[in-house]
Amino acid sequence: MSDRIEGVKKLFTSKSARVETNKGESYYLDLFERCQTRLSDLRASQPANRLDFSEVLKDNSIDRRDFMKWVSATTAMLMLPPMFSPLVAEAAELMNRAPVIWLELQDCAGNSEALLRSDGPKIDEIVLDIISLEYHETLQAAAGFQAEKQLEDAMATFKGKYLLFVEGSIPMGMNGQYGTIGASGETFHDHLMRVSKDAAAVVAVGACATFGGIPAAAPNPTHAVGVMDVVKGKPIVNIPACPANPTNMVGVVMHYVLTGQLPELDSLLRPKFAFGYRIHDNCERRAHFDAGEYVEEWGDKGAQNNFCLYKMGCKGPMTFNNCSIVRYNEAVNWPIGVGRGCIGCSEPDFWDKYAYERPMANAKIKAPAGGVEKSVDEFGLGLLTAAGIGIGIHAIASAVGGKKDDGGEA
Amino acid sequence: MSSEYKQVKRMTTAGRIIHWANAISMVVAIITGLYIGHPYYQTFIADGAVDKYVMAWNRWGHFIVAIIFDVTSIVIAYLFFFSRFEKAYKKVIPTRKNITEFFEVLINLVTLNRRKKFDSTHGDSFNSVYFLVFHLLLIWMLLSGLQLYVSGLESGISSIGNWWPWMLHIATDWTRVVSGGTVMDVRISHHYSMWFIVIWVIFHIYYQVWRTIFWKEGDIAIVFGGSKFVKEN
Repeated sequence: MSDRIEGVKKLFTSKSARVETNKGESYYLDLFERCQTRLSDLRASQPANRLDFSEVLKDNSIDRRDFMKWVSATTAMLMLPPMFSPLVAEAAELMNRAPVIWLELQDCAGNSEALLRSDGPKIDEIVLDIISLEYHETLQAAAGFQAEKQLEDAMATFKGKYLLFVEGSIPMGMNGQYGTIGASGETFHDHLMRVSKDAAAVVAVGACATFGGIPAAAPNPTHAVGVMDVVKGKPIVNIPACPANPTNMVGVVMHYVLTGQLPELDSLLRPKFAFGYRIHDNCERRAHFDAGEYVEEWGDKGAQNNFCLYKMGCKGPMTFNNCSIVRYNEAVNWPIGVGRGCIGCSEPDFWDKYAYERPMANAKIKAPAGGVEKSVDEFGLGLLTAAGIGIGIHAIASAVGGKKDDGGEA
Repeated sequence: MSSEYKQVKRMTTAGRIIHWANAISMVVAIITGLYIGHPYYQTFIADGAVDKYVMAWNRWGHFIVAIIFDVTSIVIAYLFFFSRFEKAYKKVIPTRKNITEFFEVLINLVTLNRRKKFDSTHGDSFNSVYFLVFHLLLIWMLLSGLQLYVSGLESGISSIGNWWPWMLHIATDWTRVVSGGTVMDVRISHHYSMWFIVIWVIFHIYYQVWRTIFWKEGDIAIVFGGSKFVKEN
């Protein structure tokens, strides 16, 4: 009997797809030791650039206290216990030992922009400045053959060690001729395959590099796809969103520097620490959703009172991202915070299936019959009307010309 | 006149209870589901959010009737094959006899009852196929609905234990693939299927009333009393 009770208990507490925020003391003690070894190895290795992290912080007038606040927040974001804070601080200083190559494919460079265009460089941006960015197609001064040489040098020097960041989708139409790069006119596809071959891991940043994004939106003229559709046999991390949040990019690099491993991923290869929860789960307007208090039109009383934006098409309830927790621009604000709905930019096919800024039921999407764009409800009501007309005709015909079985009064 | 008619039992008590439980659940599911998809009435703005909880109650109601649907469909699926009263699956197997009956009933409907060459005392193939379509729609609603539900539990936390989201993922993750790849496609499909079910229900009611009027066998009484009346030859 007690066996059965234990069995039931085990069944009811077994592991599932859950985000494990507490993995137990022995796990963390073990991880702590591994991280220490990893960091001392890194410290012994040659830094790839001479940037001194504490100097850069001082130049940007960020004091030790601000830095330690950032360290605590980053440790928490990575779902590590507070004892890891000193290691996270150390890892931030050792960031210049993490060689990164950054490719820019078919997109708007919005993810690089997200890194660069802050009001003043904050710690996240500084950490990303200090990583040893060996090659960045948008930012580098070199061009043509010179750039090509730099890429080859970086690939040879850090063979098997560099993290490859990819921004932008890969056009597959016309043999990839929609996008070519460099003096040799290499297609984006060939370029990506060549550089990813010797990477330690590939990090796809932004909606385009992860799921094809806006270039892949219907009718997808260039047959754009994401990195994970073409790169096989390499560890891949997806950091979707449009643009990807620099905080999450730092999180992934930090995790790599700290542990030598990639963070735990979900089924779409997104790190669970950032994409394990919906926007909705931690939304500041969530109470208004449950209460049924919605903004009905822009600027109405509901909007003035920060009501829920669901009826304005907010896709927070279906979108997995940590915007509602970490926000953007060093936690200054975020889309729902400024009073407009989420467009689901970290989900696959977001442009066609999420970003129509209406609730799904009355969004103009392709009808099952194809071609005409109708809302789901318009299509349903159309079918219903057709059925009603059919039934009406049958009923009238029956009343006029139908034969009742009974020989009696009819 | 009463001596000319004989009473035929057509639905068991359990069958009728399930029928009405489903009918009521469906009405509630549609009312609440339309609200969840697009909140079509407003709450009083002056009331505090804590007093209203309108969306939350709608979702609660939607989930409760979904669970009732879940349970009754398991029972119905069992009875479909093993009922001691009438094994419905026998009527949907495409044998020559069933196909002939299917088309005879259809012709009866199209010719406005001018031709009736089948035995209307027992359940017919046409209605059996029609009900099967409904049950397939319903199964799709259940599985796609559970997928939408469990995708909101990505963190894997459920008050009744981790086995629940784990089981739902195993049972319903395929619905994403077949409906277009993302969870939003499941949502769109779930909403479309609701309209197909509404249309199904409207024709179902019309057809049963039509049979009652034109066949003169009291078919509408089946779902209330369990039996209809057929003229004795």
